[in-house]
Amino acid sequence: MDPILPYIATAISAAGLLGVLMARGTGGRLGGSGVGVLGLAWLYVMAGAPGGGGAGLAEGIFSLVFSLLAIASSVQMITQRRPVYSALFFVLVVLSVCGMLVMMEAFFMAFSLVIVYAGAILITYMFVLMLAQQASDTAHDAEIPEYDRKPRDPRAAVVVAGMFFAIVVSVVFTGVHDLPPAAGSEARLQADAALLRSLPGEVQRLARTHDLQLPGTTAEAVHIGKEGLMLRGTQSDGTSVTVPIEGPGNTAHVGWHLVAGFPASLEVAGVILLMAMFGAVVLSRRQVEHAESELLSAVSQSDHALDQESEG
Amino acid sequence: MMQATLASTDLVSLQHALLLSGALMAIGLAGFLSRRNLIVMFLCTELMFQAAIVSLVAFGRWYWDFSGQVFVIFILTVAAAEAALALALVVLLHRRRPTLDADAWTELRE
Repeated sequence: MDPILPYIATAISAAGLLGVLMARGTGGRLGGSGVGVLGLAWLYVMAGAPGGGGAGLAEGIFSLVFSLLAIASSVQMITQRRPVYSALFFVLVVLSVCGMLVMMEAFFMAFSLVIVYAGAILITYMFVLMLAQQASDTAHDAEIPEYDRKPRDPRAAVVVAGMFFAIVVSVVFTGVHDLPPAAGSEARLQADAALLRSLPGEVQRLARTHDLQLPGTTAEAVHIGKEGLMLRGTQSDGTSVTVPIEGPGNTAHVGWHLVAGFPASLEVAGVILLMAMFGAVVLSRRQVEHAESELLSAVSQSDHALDQESEG
Repeated sequence: MMQATLASTDLVSLQHALLLSGALMAIGLAGFLSRRNLIVMFLCTELMFQAAIVSLVAFGRWYWDFSGQVFVIFILTVAAAEAALALALVVLLHRRRPTLDADAWTELRE
């Protein structure tokens, strides 16, 4: 493959993005997105077939659909004139990225992204949008403010973004092959075994479900056999047996790494969140001076209202 | 050789995840540079966070190292803190001048 081809594909997809950004009507948008999809599809094909081997056709199609959905809705997000629609398309981006994370077996992260991003952060954005926006959500484009209708310098923006994408593409096409080899199934099994050995309670639970007595320490009981992870123990009649067990799941791995590997960072993250909360409160509070008598009358009024409510 | 050994266990190849991540980051960058609405600009930074998340998880999967996913948790933290502070700032600015136009504040650069 000619090394210049990926850059041509990059330029084509950047041109498509520019077309969508500058488009005035639906036709222009469709044309731009067609060109963009063409460039991206070429890049996708040049990067090689997904999975192959054991990964079935369905998985390949799923990851392709999720990637396309993520990219298409992010383009929609930056080209929509109404900010509320942008926020809604961002929810779609988050959901499709979560689909990709599920395909990469990062289940815990996928669901916490849905909860934190699509659930909490986007709601905050929507609140502020509703708060700050003038009543422009009618069918007339003319009522959308000018700063939402006209992008600022789309050509320069697309050139910068295209150059960035070209760097990523060059890394993907030249650098990935020089990486140290990926962890094979052996290394994965060893990681599973290492995690189980550091979780004695989990090993005891597994032993109970198989009606086994553990001989010595839990670390000796877990080992890697031909069929994957094995647990060695003695049955109630004294015979020594070895049973295959399930490895710890994704959540157990992430939790163990978080708490055992990065305890100080976890504390710092908590402090950051607390400080952000203080900062937001301090930034957005409004200084209102109340005289003492006003406060007293407000309190008595609310008391009065409460009394009426309870009577009614 | 190397490709063949990992193909049997990987549903999404590292190249494709990195391409998706790069494309999302580039689109977020283009949006941040070209949009003029303050809130949409911040949404574009969130889009770039998503791109970082995809590549962290992809590399974590490549090496079977869960630190990648732990870093995603910290990204979530930073994103939440950023959203809270940025939106507080937007509310503050909007109270001064009732517009979301980023160009309304160009005199800040002087």
